[in-house]
Amino acid sequence: MKNKLIGLVLCLILIGLSNVSYGQDLLIKNGTLLTVTKGEIPNGDILIINGVIKQIGSNIQAPEGIQVVDATGKFVIPGIIDSHTHIALSGTNEGSVAITSEVDMRDVLNAEDTGILTALSGGVTMIHTMHGSANPIAGENITLKMKWGKASEELIVHEADRTLKFALGENPKRSSSTGSSTSPRYPQTRMGVNAIIRREFKKAQNYMEQWDRYEKLKAMKKPPQNLIPPRRDLRLEPLVALLRGEIVARCHAYQADEMIEFINLSKEFGFKIACFEHAWEGYKIAKEIVANNIGISVFADSWAYKMEASQGIAYNAGFCADQGILVSINSDSGERIRRLFNDAAKTMKYGGLSENEALRLITLNPAIQLGVDNIVGSLEVGKHGDIAIFHEHPLSAYTRCEMTIIEGEIYFDREQYLNEREELEKKEKETAKNKEGGGQ
Amino acid sequence: MKKQKIILSLFLSASLMIATLAAFAEVGPTYAIIHCTVVPVNGPPVENGVIIIRDGLIESVGVFGDITIPDDAEVIEAGEMYAYPGLISAHTNLLLEPSSPPSQTQREASSSQLPDEEPGWQKSELMAFEKLLIKTTTIEDLYKAGITTVLVAPEQNIFAGQSVILNLRGENKEAMVLKQPFALHINFVTARGEYPSSLMGTMALLRQSFLDTEHYFLYKEQFAKSPSGLKRPEHNPFLESLLPYVIKKDPIIFNCANIEDIKRAIRLIQEFKLNGTISGANEAWRVVDWIKKANLPLLVSLDYRPPNMSKYVRQGDALKKEAEENIYPANAANLHKNGVKFALTSLGLSKSADVLKNLRTVIKSGFPEDEALKAMTIYPAEYLGIKNLVGSLEPGKIANVVLTTGKIFDEKTVVQKIFVDGLSFEVKQPPKKAESTSLDISGKWKAVVDSPMGAMDMTIEFIQDGSNITGSFTSEMGKWNITDGILNGKELTFSISANIMGESMSMEFSGTVDNESLEGNISVQGENAKLKATKIPNGGVEENLL
Repeated sequence: MKNKLIGLVLCLILIGLSNVSYGQDLLIKNGTLLTVTKGEIPNGDILIINGVIKQIGSNIQAPEGIQVVDATGKFVIPGIIDSHTHIALSGTNEGSVAITSEVDMRDVLNAEDTGILTALSGGVTMIHTMHGSANPIAGENITLKMKWGKASEELIVHEADRTLKFALGENPKRSSSTGSSTSPRYPQTRMGVNAIIRREFKKAQNYMEQWDRYEKLKAMKKPPQNLIPPRRDLRLEPLVALLRGEIVARCHAYQADEMIEFINLSKEFGFKIACFEHAWEGYKIAKEIVANNIGISVFADSWAYKMEASQGIAYNAGFCADQGILVSINSDSGERIRRLFNDAAKTMKYGGLSENEALRLITLNPAIQLGVDNIVGSLEVGKHGDIAIFHEHPLSAYTRCEMTIIEGEIYFDREQYLNEREELEKKEKETAKNKEGGGQ
Repeated sequence: MKKQKIILSLFLSASLMIATLAAFAEVGPTYAIIHCTVVPVNGPPVENGVIIIRDGLIESVGVFGDITIPDDAEVIEAGEMYAYPGLISAHTNLLLEPSSPPSQTQREASSSQLPDEEPGWQKSELMAFEKLLIKTTTIEDLYKAGITTVLVAPEQNIFAGQSVILNLRGENKEAMVLKQPFALHINFVTARGEYPSSLMGTMALLRQSFLDTEHYFLYKEQFAKSPSGLKRPEHNPFLESLLPYVIKKDPIIFNCANIEDIKRAIRLIQEFKLNGTISGANEAWRVVDWIKKANLPLLVSLDYRPPNMSKYVRQGDALKKEAEENIYPANAANLHKNGVKFALTSLGLSKSADVLKNLRTVIKSGFPEDEALKAMTIYPAEYLGIKNLVGSLEPGKIANVVLTTGKIFDEKTVVQKIFVDGLSFEVKQPPKKAESTSLDISGKWKAVVDSPMGAMDMTIEFIQDGSNITGSFTSEMGKWNITDGILNGKELTFSISANIMGESMSMEFSGTVDNESLEGNISVQGENAKLKATKIPNGGVEENLL
């Protein structure tokens, strides 16, 4: 009996330990460290133990047996964070109806999406992968680390804020879906989008009250006879969580007017907007955005691809950052995700940001937007060992990412990857040859 | 006059009733299968064995000489043969009426979203039993694979419907039922053109449906106990149909095409404390930790083609080939190595003939033969709750016996004879060498196929070499090859290896032919279509000139 107990305790301890030491050990030697929060360290070393940065400095003694990465002549930055993308998912939109707050991207993770590899090749270590913008109220998004090869559940960043996607403007009113295959759907106008969101929040308030009333009655000494809990409504529950402050809103919006309207909605109902997505006309209402402590997650350029983006400007990101808005540059795609550092660099030319300010747009700022700046976003002792190594300055037009590390583990090594690909190509050719041979 | 009619019909139905009762009470034949190697599965093989079958059940199993052969038994000399319990496929979509595609008006109606219209995903009330379409050819095909017992499940929609377990005797579906209904079947698919149109929507819908069922039950219970002050609950047929599965915990079978589906199913099963089974599961080895921890009944399909989203098929042809030939067929072996128990099923195999073929491949990849046999007999019997009826050769169990020409998993072995419910069925052997034929069918034929999708025009070109037929089959869907054709007198059979929207499929034709016309049936995945063709004179040369 006693032995059994000891065994059980041992088991528990072991399980506990294995949970704590999730990462690996790694020493990065002699690189130019762009820490984002603590300036630039030439010839710097970073020691990562159990996935967490233990020490930053020069000439760090290598613990015995530790893997060492030589970064001589290279630039070491915190892993890039993409605040808005749609990779690593099986499906983007539940576009059949306008309100779909019941859906959760957590249910459709796809850890085998090669978009993860693409992201790694651009130094991206963390993403916020979202429901699309087809619906005024869409679904719950999720924050992932780009641990290619790991099981989907191991990608989830549990420390991140829970976020719910909203969308305004042309996409939710379906102005581009004129084909015969899609039936017309309410809402068809911007005023309709606003109205349907308000209506849903009213429902959520009602639902919340219903439950509060039930809980109160249930807690009474003599609960009334025939007390039955209300029907659970998965569509309204995330909105209630938003009203209770347990989730934050991420809202796809282009125009200044619709952003102002949404800010008013958030005040009317009392929920928190973490971020406007794209926010092409953010520069027009920078004061209002700052005053409400809202971030924006934007493209560097490529505006005017549709009517509502026609007043976008390349100075938007730089100008807004200058005005004190928490700005991040996002990819919104599985392709742009590999060159976010290029996009960040554009804000130096258009908007006049400094190197460090530009770098913040793809590291610390998105980390703050996702509520994970205490664990990632800069090179600091105690933060996760999520790191990208570039062969030239990451904001140079000629740079490329050489290595991407998450929690001390190397997930992308350009040299090794190219070798592997060469091997694979050889094998492919052989397979093709054999096929021909077999056919004769 | 009217009265007379009523009396007459009463009399008729009464006599009919007596006839049915008599049929029910009819005593089945007695057989003594002697001199065979008996592989009872629940114990070691018996050389020179005997199986006595009486009135549908196994009476005794033992060594020849130890067991008295009953005087009334028909003796079946089975020297050099092997006897196995009938194989069980614990998940198939065979033997069902083809579900006709919705007509244009129906489709239009569904897009207008009438509030009281039943959505397409909601088919939980559908009973496979009521949609059974027993085809002799399909059953003969299953016999060839040694299969005597199947679970038949509807295959489409999120809530697909409820399955039935059949013991495959004859054609009377009522007489074949072992369990009806058995399980609710759920697929991780989407609805077309309506909610839910995405997998995330499907997951939300599943959760909401389970929650609604729980609430519906709670409300009804409370109302039954003390209705005062409560609104009378509304009858909801959909939630009614879920009650046995969500509340009473009857089995729910989740069809899982990939690792994420398996995780989704396990999460739902745990969240709602369901009595869940994982089926399909040809990526199960990749989530073996989940499988072991969840410890659920597991039905692994013998259709081991890798799923489209697999990382093994998305990184070049070399890896894809490796995945198809070696990695995925080893699913069973890998699960077994990790100490996981499971049944094998024929789910997804369009030809039952592939069952034994694929079993052999699975064994070659390292899955032990004795486990393979259990995975097709006693394990599925256990999962289906029919272990006391079938799954092994034991006295008292249903006499489902398969006689084979050798060890069942050996390459050249064929099924010779099969007993279902103690009734003997001959298994049609593939014609080895056809008789010589006087017909010449080579050349081009103009054909029409009456499929459920409507009539389709095709051109067939036969190449004849004695009684062997090859050639091609051309339609608007492409040109397909004719293989394994045999012309036996006037009887013609051939296979068509088709490729429909990237999916390879095998169709079987059998019919009769003379010098000018051809008529018969094409079957594909258990569905049939009539084919009629006439020969184009001069091998189609004239037509080509025009």
